[in-house]
Amino acid sequence: MPVVVPPPDPAGLPAPAWLLQILLVFTFILHVLAMNLLLGGSVVLALSTWRAKHSEFCAKLSQRLSRALPVAMSLTITLGIAPLLFVQVLYGQAFYTASVLMAWFWLSVILLVLLAYYGLYLVQFRPEWLGAKAGVVAWISALFILAVGLLFTHNATLSISPAKWAEMYAASASGLHLNWSEPTLIPRYLHFVVAAFAVTGLGLMLLAAGYRKTDAEWSAEATRYGLRWFVGATVLQFAVGLWFLVKLPQGVMMNFLGMNMVDTVVLWAGVVLAVLALLVAQRSAIGATVLVALTITLMAVTRHRVRQMLLGEHLNVNTLPVNPQWAMFVIFAVLLVIGLAVVGWMVWQFFKASQPQQSTTA
Amino acid sequence: MEYPFWDIPLVGGGMLIGIIAILHVFVSHFAIGAGLFLVLTERKARREGDTALLDYLKRHSTFFILVVLVFGAVSGVGIWWAIGLVHPTATSALIHIFVWAWAIEWVFFVIELLAAFIYYYGWNRLDARTHETIGWIYFAGAWLSLFMINGILTFMLSTGKWPETRSIVDAFFNPTMLPSLVVRTAVTIALAGLYALITASAEADESLREKVVKYASKWVLVGMTIIPIGGIWYISRIPDQAREISMGGAPVVTLFAAASIIFSAFVFLATLLGPFLFPRRFHVTFAFVIVALGLITTGVTEWVREAVRKPYIIYNYMYSNAIRAEDTQKVWEQGVLGSAKWALLTEQDKRNPLAMGEKVFRFSCQSCHTVNGFNGIKFAVKGWEKDFLDMQIQKLDQLKGYMPPFLGNEEERKALVEWLYSLNNPPQQTAARP
Repeated sequence: MPVVVPPPDPAGLPAPAWLLQILLVFTFILHVLAMNLLLGGSVVLALSTWRAKHSEFCAKLSQRLSRALPVAMSLTITLGIAPLLFVQVLYGQAFYTASVLMAWFWLSVILLVLLAYYGLYLVQFRPEWLGAKAGVVAWISALFILAVGLLFTHNATLSISPAKWAEMYAASASGLHLNWSEPTLIPRYLHFVVAAFAVTGLGLMLLAAGYRKTDAEWSAEATRYGLRWFVGATVLQFAVGLWFLVKLPQGVMMNFLGMNMVDTVVLWAGVVLAVLALLVAQRSAIGATVLVALTITLMAVTRHRVRQMLLGEHLNVNTLPVNPQWAMFVIFAVLLVIGLAVVGWMVWQFFKASQPQQSTTA
Repeated sequence: MEYPFWDIPLVGGGMLIGIIAILHVFVSHFAIGAGLFLVLTERKARREGDTALLDYLKRHSTFFILVVLVFGAVSGVGIWWAIGLVHPTATSALIHIFVWAWAIEWVFFVIELLAAFIYYYGWNRLDARTHETIGWIYFAGAWLSLFMINGILTFMLSTGKWPETRSIVDAFFNPTMLPSLVVRTAVTIALAGLYALITASAEADESLREKVVKYASKWVLVGMTIIPIGGIWYISRIPDQAREISMGGAPVVTLFAAASIIFSAFVFLATLLGPFLFPRRFHVTFAFVIVALGLITTGVTEWVREAVRKPYIIYNYMYSNAIRAEDTQKVWEQGVLGSAKWALLTEQDKRNPLAMGEKVFRFSCQSCHTVNGFNGIKFAVKGWEKDFLDMQIQKLDQLKGYMPPFLGNEEERKALVEWLYSLNNPPQQTAARP
């Protein structure tokens, strides 16, 4: 079977490939941060809601987390739109093809997200009405979110496997394929899931810090609980990450083991930063968060490099025609700055109003 | 044609997009109008010192975020998902032509969503002035994202000067952009009132219910009055052929266009004779009836808007089957299967007209037709002899103005005829007959 890759869009890229790649990777990082809090958070919500009757700590955790998760869901979706736009601009030839091959599964993402989202709101708004069933609903939401993640891994791995496409499509055009035969599928998926638990651990520590004055006892316990998630997941990640690395095709793997110095340094610097985060986490959750954010940045760059290597000359974005729309880009950039300022102002107003001394004067 | 085609039996891709899109339109327009409704009504309540009305608004805004932030946002992404699967070539074109317009829309969307959260969670937290300001920011973000998406959506029907100039300004500020914006803005106002009728009619306090029902019905009436004015302007600006299709050129489309007008009138009259004149007796069941009428109106109108675009998916640029008008000559020469790499044409196929014909159908026809289901081709060609089929296909665009010309070589056309004929006359059966 020949390798069939759709031709590039004749309209060309609206900006040089390097700029679009930066935007793709940068917005992907933002999406992943929100997604981590959502995915890990929904599992922690399910666990704590399940045990809420037996433990006051869990009851409070469930209640406090349930208020944050719909916002995390909304941010995950919203911040996901931008990288999905840029991936279609740069890698549409691969993305649409892989999506069509797994069309029904890919479309089911929408339904799963919708149901998981309503489940999270149900747990937040109607815990008394749900009673013991709140734990079940929270688990359903968590499992749906985990399933969506797996479908994304299928799509992402299929998108960078052009050699499989024609054979799959010749076998069936019904959009019922998945990428189970991919050796990196499971380690790649677990790599993301375990990272999500680590980031959620840090998120819990930051949430706990917000209750230091009002509920010191719970805050201390939540900090320890969050730290356990972070340390446990990060230690496990060393094994999962290694598993993922060795499952990559050898030519790709070797680039990260010294063959390509830049790729090697980027990957292993990310690992070193994660180790540092482990060391400082107990003393400073914020310090660990900054280090982990840097790790995620380097890992996102590594992920992008793996995509470039696997697509190779089948889809090299640097050879795509460029037809820049600079005026439009400038309008976008200016509006983005204004938009971020407006968002910043609104968030500031919101948190400013929460401080007791402010609310008494208001 | 450049991408693998997703085969959805019976229903077809168009229907799939339609279902998601109509529900999304019905919610997303409410999302915008409700922003204006909330902030103007909040101001009114505070001015009049009406705490009952303010409490109603808090309850209404819970309903609002559950509908808008969840269903509105997810179904909007859902349309994007569905069009990418059903029409990847056209989606890619819209993405590439309008990348920065999409990116700008995303900025407004981020503002809209965060403002919605802060408005909702800020009811008891923010002071009145800041809270109203956040409400205005929400409405501005929501309406501006409509402004952006409207420019892209109208481009598909009226590409204006773009096919010659290829300028993003011509693409975005296309002939129907402004009239469509007026219509859609009016729809947002009407829908804001329509949804408020649901929550208002469920209020327990009788005097509050009467007041809000009457007030919300005015929103519906104002919106429904502006829609036909903008609508006439819009119809005057669409391509001539599209107008002809909606006014007799294609009977089904004409029927739906008439239904759109009739159901709009129903919504107006039901609101006038129900909640506006008799707010005291207004019941939640009646609210749902009007909402259902509104959903039907939205459905048929969006369906007509899609239908009149034929034979194009992007007017004067790309046909419904994803073949670019400028590639017509090339496809005639190379054949549709020679151009569509995903047909994966084998030597075996070339020797078997039925196998070849089926592949021609997939890449030339199946984006609009299913075999046995919606717009089913088997039924459409029932009783047609081979000569007649061949003649129909050769003069497809002349006989049926809403269909593109058949793009393919003679061998492919003959193969398609054989395959179409075999649908109603299975080979073994014909052989068995004397």
